[in-house]
Amino acid sequence: MIDERTEEQASLHVLGALSETEAREFKRKLHSDRELQAFVARLSTVTGAIAGAVSTAEPPPQLRAKILAQAGEPQKSILLPHRKPSLLSWLPWALATVFTTLCIVLNVQDAQLRKTLANQVKQINKLNQLALTLQSATNDLQQTVFALRETNRLANLKIAMLNSLASGAPNAIAVSLWDNEKQNGVLVTQNLKTLSADKDYELWVMDENRNPVAAGVFHMDASGEIRLDFKPSRAIKTAGKFCITEEVRGGVASPTIKNMVLASN
Amino acid sequence: MSLCAQNDFVRVFRVFNARPEGVLQFSTQPVNEQAGQDRDIELLRQIAGSDRAAFAEFYDRHATLMFSIASKILNYSGEAEDVLQEVFMQIWEKAGKFDPKLGKASSWVAILVRNRAIDRIRASQRRTRLAEEAGAQRIDVVDISDTANAAIHGHEKAELIRSAIVELPVEQRRAIELAYFSGLTQDEISKKLNEPLGTIKARIRRGLLKLRDQLEGVL
Repeated sequence: MIDERTEEQASLHVLGALSETEAREFKRKLHSDRELQAFVARLSTVTGAIAGAVSTAEPPPQLRAKILAQAGEPQKSILLPHRKPSLLSWLPWALATVFTTLCIVLNVQDAQLRKTLANQVKQINKLNQLALTLQSATNDLQQTVFALRETNRLANLKIAMLNSLASGAPNAIAVSLWDNEKQNGVLVTQNLKTLSADKDYELWVMDENRNPVAAGVFHMDASGEIRLDFKPSRAIKTAGKFCITEEVRGGVASPTIKNMVLASN
Repeated sequence: MSLCAQNDFVRVFRVFNARPEGVLQFSTQPVNEQAGQDRDIELLRQIAGSDRAAFAEFYDRHATLMFSIASKILNYSGEAEDVLQEVFMQIWEKAGKFDPKLGKASSWVAILVRNRAIDRIRASQRRTRLAEEAGAQRIDVVDISDTANAAIHGHEKAELIRSAIVELPVEQRRAIELAYFSGLTQDEISKKLNEPLGTIKARIRRGLLKLRDQLEGVL
């Protein structure tokens, strides 16, 4: 049910006699009230009839063509005189076209560069993986080389057991470890008898020509054991046998054969 | 008829009788109202889809009514052509906004024209003079066959419509005409007629409701 005040507002609304504020408020109300919409529709028909009660005035015949032509124009602005398109009028369009084309080209290039970049990143990743693989292989090879070197070094090592030749010390024994590459060695003895203060034991290394080369002297205490790092007095191409002789203190240039106490096979 | 109304009649009768020769005389054959309304709705739907043929047909159906309203409000000045152009462009661009629930298409375009013409008056310095003139131009003296209603509704219905308007109490009709054709607000009508605002509102409401009731089955 529409109250009297709303009917008044609706009447003023269809006649356009509401103030702007009142009209806005009424339109909000109208939007959500179907009964009011029907009431306003009926009153609008009445005002339409009032409008139609005026004497007719025919619009000028040329006005029809003018209005229809305007409706077909892309820009529907009114009463603008028609102008012939000049070169300058095309300039903004030309610039827009160039700009659009440029954007398209740049966009395509951007896409291509992105694709290339993605491929290169992929290749870099592959190369990184390959590098890791190679690094791993290198490590393996280095380990192999190291092992080979160790093997080679072991190959250069000569281990010799020196057995007792002296009747006074039948249990005496010594082991010589010789590194031909480094030209040095280690001698470990056991059960050698103690020498008098004026005597020393002297180690000899037989070279490739079976010539004895002095490798160091040592004095034995009561323990009978010693560990001696030795180095021959000259370079030896290939070490043959090892022997230990009993010599005067400080050693001699040539071994005294009769005083040999230990010798390798 | 009151003495004042008689004076008005005498004053404006010459104006309405002085219309130019050669204006189109409408047929007095009644037209199918519902079919016409349906056609208008369909045309507006097509116009919303930028159909120029529909726009042309819509022009042919309503241009005379619209031009008549604009001419009356603007006192038959050349501005009526500008208003017609502006409103038709408005229809071309906003046909999709027409809501049949809020009234007929003919009522809608009449309001569009009326509002646009009133805006022109309000934007100019001629408001007082035009308002006076519009208020003086009464519709009861117009030849019935020379009205837009005769073309839209047929001669008989146009006669019924005018009778209903003429039979309104003068003060109600005057308030309605000042609001519709002169573009005066309720406050301005109140001041112009030197009547309380509440009285003006009541007159307008009662006048429109009476017209609605009398034209029930006609429109």
